[in-house]
Amino acid sequence: MSVLPFPSFLDDVKEKGLRRALYEGINSVVERFTAGMNVQDLREALRGDPPSRKPNPRLQPHADGFWLHMRPSYFHKSVTGLYPEFRLGWLSTYFVFFETITGIFLMVWYTPSPQVAYANMLAIMANVPLGQFMRDLHRLGAEAMVLIVTLHMLRTFLTASYKKPREFTWFSGIMLLVFTMVLSFSGYLLPWDQLALWAVTIGASMVEAAPPEVVGTNLNLLLRGGPEIGANGLLRFYLLHVLALPALLFVFLGVHYYKVVIHAHSLPPKEENIGEDTAKRVPLDKRVYFIPDVLTSEIMWIGVTSLILIILVTWFFHAPLESHADPQVTPLGTTAPWYFLWVQGALKLGDKVFWGIIFPTLYVVVLAVVPYVDTAPSRRWAHRRFQLTFAFGMIAMTVILSYMGLSEFGVVTSADSEIINEMVKEPAHNHMGHIRPVPYDELRSGMYTTRQFEAGMGEEAEVVAAFNEEIENGEQATAATTLVGFLEATHHLPVTSLNFTPLPDDGGELYHVLEEFGMAIEARPNELPNAWGGVIITDVQDGLKRIDVMIVWNDYVNENGRPILNENGQPTLVRDAEGNPVWRINNNHIFIHENSQYFSAPGT
Amino acid sequence: MNLQRMLVERIESRILVGTVSFLLIMVLVGWIAINEGGRMQAFERQYTARSIERGAGMFATYCSECHGLDGRGLTGIAPGLDSPFLFGHDFLAEANLETDTLTAERDAAGTTDARKAEIETRLSELVTERQAISTSLQTAVDRGYNPEEPSRLVNVGWGSTLYTFVFTTLVHGRPVSESYWPRAMPAWSQTAGGSLRDDQLNDLVTFILNWDKGEDWTVEDANAVNQYPIEPSASGAALENAVGVDTPTETIVAELVNYVGDPNNGQSLYNGSLACAGCHLAGIVAPPMAGTWTRVETERLADPLLAGYTGEQYLAESIIHSAAYIAPNYQNLMPANFGARLSYQDLADLVAFLETQE
Repeated sequence: MSVLPFPSFLDDVKEKGLRRALYEGINSVVERFTAGMNVQDLREALRGDPPSRKPNPRLQPHADGFWLHMRPSYFHKSVTGLYPEFRLGWLSTYFVFFETITGIFLMVWYTPSPQVAYANMLAIMANVPLGQFMRDLHRLGAEAMVLIVTLHMLRTFLTASYKKPREFTWFSGIMLLVFTMVLSFSGYLLPWDQLALWAVTIGASMVEAAPPEVVGTNLNLLLRGGPEIGANGLLRFYLLHVLALPALLFVFLGVHYYKVVIHAHSLPPKEENIGEDTAKRVPLDKRVYFIPDVLTSEIMWIGVTSLILIILVTWFFHAPLESHADPQVTPLGTTAPWYFLWVQGALKLGDKVFWGIIFPTLYVVVLAVVPYVDTAPSRRWAHRRFQLTFAFGMIAMTVILSYMGLSEFGVVTSADSEIINEMVKEPAHNHMGHIRPVPYDELRSGMYTTRQFEAGMGEEAEVVAAFNEEIENGEQATAATTLVGFLEATHHLPVTSLNFTPLPDDGGELYHVLEEFGMAIEARPNELPNAWGGVIITDVQDGLKRIDVMIVWNDYVNENGRPILNENGQPTLVRDAEGNPVWRINNNHIFIHENSQYFSAPGT
Repeated sequence: MNLQRMLVERIESRILVGTVSFLLIMVLVGWIAINEGGRMQAFERQYTARSIERGAGMFATYCSECHGLDGRGLTGIAPGLDSPFLFGHDFLAEANLETDTLTAERDAAGTTDARKAEIETRLSELVTERQAISTSLQTAVDRGYNPEEPSRLVNVGWGSTLYTFVFTTLVHGRPVSESYWPRAMPAWSQTAGGSLRDDQLNDLVTFILNWDKGEDWTVEDANAVNQYPIEPSASGAALENAVGVDTPTETIVAELVNYVGDPNNGQSLYNGSLACAGCHLAGIVAPPMAGTWTRVETERLADPLLAGYTGEQYLAESIIHSAAYIAPNYQNLMPANFGARLSYQDLADLVAFLETQE
């Protein structure tokens, strides 16, 4: 015996031998870690064997441990499969933690100030190992989370799981959906790029429409921190994103999950009699225990889901980063994030106050009160025809409104601006102007025109020569003079005369882009009568070229930009005092550097 | 199909799938981590390239009016930036280095007389070479270049990098002063009251620095620059027979009769050292040069404020006492120091030149 009043480890060794004493020592440590399961219990559980001792040691962690006391110790067999829940609720929770972890990583590298936020983004991309990886994961996770939470709501509706006693679970779920969307949206502004600024400007301007005016104006001021989004607005969105909304989200997540546990997961409707809720009374033979069944399953899903996300960001998805936010430059075709497209679509229907504020609020309110209105006891599809019709009606409406929210729908831009924008557009929304991806060495300096495609094969040279002649002293002379002056004065392009050269069809990208440009012009004969397009490529520096894209067309009589057609279905041209058609010009230019990688680099 | 259960039914299979997933995650993240260095470099390169593109756009919009679209500067208005001078290229560097080395060897103890003679021959060759280089740079020298002091940063005593020199110049602009540029370069940074953000200034600087040819600058490049920077310290000495800033117009006119103006010299003053053309160009900042005399005769002298003036008197007064009468629709922006910078002969030449502008 030692001097201690209790047997020491050494005494144990003396009494039982080293091996047995060590095993028991480890066993007791493991048991304290797992709050009740020893090594033997764990091995049995992982093998899928039934527990070998009583009372069931697998229930002990639920009783004694902090983390597992939040989880039920067993589930009904019918709710642990893929149907009816598709793990959507679990996935939503997974994404909450996923976003928190990736978000904290990004937070370390971020300062919410317009002066440095964008530079922080560049630093994350260019100087932080795994920075881009984390940013991609965070962004992808955010988009996925919105989708998953929405689907979770939809599933709950379809299986009528919102019915008594789960009304408040549904309501807290709707709140979580709203928080998820606002969280995702508030994160939009933080990179301080053009995409961020304009998406949020649209969003915040909707808030401004909230009636009455004094409320809208002040709400807008509170949110933006000034008449325009600036340093204050960015800081507010940042605090919303990392503090206020996550706090609300975690509180509601707690409430939501508490309700889920206390009422248990609703069973598939067909397994219960109408009006019954038997989820809490699980017969012994239907019990699936959390340890080991559900736990291994969940850990497996953490691995599989994370792997899928990582594969996606490795090869298929990169978080967009556009150019620095600039309140003075409005990009053509600005859209809200996809999950708010339906609001943008609704706004095109008319009144800003109704469609921008009242309608979306009503949408959420209608969803929130569903369980308090639909109190019929049956959860079976056959008895819920109206509810299902309503659900599909809502889905259809949302999809149609989202489509209407796209910039292609119902926004009138002039044909020339649209076509030129399609040619030179900066990369945005995974889309860029056709000219940008042309390989750099194909951009030979010179002047090219879409007129060359009016010729048959092999006659391009003659047609272009004839066109040059027209420019020299034919009917295009006025247009050419105006164009040269316009290019020099407005666009600072030092050209003194136009002399086009035919572009050979050598299978190169530039040829195809010019051809597409020509076809785009030809496709709008009424808005661009007698039009031709030109592309002028000039050298600026070593490895830097300038590309001017221009359209020249005849002015016509129009109403709100749309041509008034005469009896032949053609636009009426505007003529000057001498009866000659008036030429109009539009031009835009971009610079292309050889390392810009709009195209994939050779060898990658 | 057993979709009702856990998709992966047996616990062992779940453990397997989970373990494989975690292993794959580790492999993938490891693979990404290994490639991070290359990826970050590629991003940096791509970003710099796009920064140059944006800078080029802004240069054409904001800077080309004074510095020229090709960045070679405009005579009398602003210096060239596509210039070996800005990047400190020394055309004489090689010859200078050899001269220094040889001189040191010659002066060192123990050099044989034969070797000394050899060195002397080579040194005289080098003098010729240096002269040849300087001669080939004559066009540039005429435009303000000095081959012996080939670096802008050294000349102004700039203690930091070229990047910060250009950046700081963009932030604050450059002032107008006596014997300096006739037209101020505005402050471009928002912090200094301008219109551009810091990231835009960065884009501009990367574009401007992209003109650097390193060791490949040629004499032709130097000669193609239209205008070299003015060194404020280089001139500005008081003129001996100056008209005088405070001399009354009557005295000037009375004295001016004794001089015969030379329109050619007037023209070179106008476009050259006085750089009047910097402002009297397109009629935006100041009345344009073209048609000056016609305007004086038909419009200005008809103004009751100028009753009794002759054309010459009006021109002389406008140059020396520019604030006495401001042409309608313009502001008083003209420097008031021409009285100290012009002799009567210069003034007569200028007036004679302007009388040819009909």
